[in-house]
Amino acid sequence: MGYDLVRFQGEVDEELLCPICSGVLEEPQQAPSCEHAFCTACITEWLQRQPTCPVDRSAFTANDLKPVPRILRNLLSRLQINCDNATFGCTAIVKLDALSAHLAECEHNPKKPVDCDSGCGLVIPKDEVKDHNCVRELRVVVQQQAIKMSELQTELAQQKLLINEQKSEIMLLKEYMRHLRMTNPRLRELQTELENNEVLRWAQTLQVARVTRWGGMISTPDQVLQAVIKRALIDSNCPAHIVNELMENAHERRWPPGLSTLETRQHHRRQYENYVAKRIPGKQAVVVMMCENPHIPPELQVSPGLVMIFAHGVE
Amino acid sequence: MANIAVQRIKREFKEVVKSEEVAECHIQVELVNDSFTELKGQIAGPPDTPYEGATFNLEIKIPETYPFNPPKVKFLTAIWHPNISSVTGAICLDILKDQWAAAMTLRTVLLSLQALLAAAEPDDPQDAVVAKQYKENHPIFLKTARHWANIYAGGTIREDDYDNRVIQLKNMGFDPHKARVALSTHNWNVERAMEHILNY
Repeated sequence: MGYDLVRFQGEVDEELLCPICSGVLEEPQQAPSCEHAFCTACITEWLQRQPTCPVDRSAFTANDLKPVPRILRNLLSRLQINCDNATFGCTAIVKLDALSAHLAECEHNPKKPVDCDSGCGLVIPKDEVKDHNCVRELRVVVQQQAIKMSELQTELAQQKLLINEQKSEIMLLKEYMRHLRMTNPRLRELQTELENNEVLRWAQTLQVARVTRWGGMISTPDQVLQAVIKRALIDSNCPAHIVNELMENAHERRWPPGLSTLETRQHHRRQYENYVAKRIPGKQAVVVMMCENPHIPPELQVSPGLVMIFAHGVE
Repeated sequence: MANIAVQRIKREFKEVVKSEEVAECHIQVELVNDSFTELKGQIAGPPDTPYEGATFNLEIKIPETYPFNPPKVKFLTAIWHPNISSVTGAICLDILKDQWAAAMTLRTVLLSLQALLAAAEPDDPQDAVVAKQYKENHPIFLKTARHWANIYAGGTIREDDYDNRVIQLKNMGFDPHKARVALSTHNWNVERAMEHILNY
């Protein structure tokens, strides 16, 4: 609803009035074709009853409403209006576009939030300050919190109960699985096969890496570097059950006999080119998966795969 | 009453009072109570119609949801017109029903009613008896409307023969208004009017 005309200084042009509420346009919007302007609240309410222009009955809906031209907005913002709190003694006259800023700070607003100066720490409406009693208010706060705590405790107890129920269900399921495995040995194979397929699918999504400088390999990466690579592995959708194992294999202490010392590495240098190495996305690191390297001698790889981190030279 | 309705009525009230139509004594509104929920309207009968020179009082009730819903208006002054009930004063006018638009005002409503007096819609009647007479016995309709305007609304043209027939029935002990309604309904045939009063 628009601003009451009596609040304005001087004459207000008829064109700036809302035909519905007859006040000065507040947040105006206009009809699409006939361009009649209304307060947003007024026209929205009218369109809920009838999808026509209240002035000339041309058809439109709330979705068709358009912002009013800048010139209209400027004319409105220039009008001088008194404060909402004029009845409480505010004598300020401000431009319409400065009204909301003024209201936020108006000292005459009886509901202006102020801090209690007796030290209870509560924020209270200005007109309630004289009846404000810190002890009473704080008691209310304490009571509210006590209620909340007891509610939370009840919820906690319920959750605990739920967790226990689920625990026993899991136990039961595990027991079932154990029995199933005992009666059907194929199940374990099936599971392994599923996991292997998953690993293979993931490895195939990675791009083949070209290592230009095998000498740049870091055989004893530090913790931070390993954490960064691990993150990248997880982001590449690496199956969760092999992430940790792969990262263990990023350090020379877990490397296979053919790679475990500087000497052996020197010795096998020529064979490196045969590795099918996949780039760990965005990093100077590759992963050599056992499932993709059946042609490499066993002493040069490790299950499920080998992570090699380089200082440089991975493309 | 909602703020928006009060703001509108206050302004519209001023609008009617200031307007030129009032200066020419064509339309007028008065407050009935302080809450702006009820007003009294007045319109003059338009020239070159049977209602010329007469003044009609209207009851205007402002709903809580004004101006999103139309005001409720009815004639307090008895009138003989196809779109206005001769019994209750209820008005059949589209803008007071589904053709209401929120930008309309008391002023436009009163002017529309005045226009309705000048141009009846007998095919969309409120009072079927009047509408039938309007279409089938138009000269009688005109005289009847003029007679009613003269009796109830201060119209200046008298219809002496109709006055005499009412007096004739009045002298026989019938209520003059009931006699007038019966006579108007039966195209001023005295015997049939008497029959009508005795049967109802």
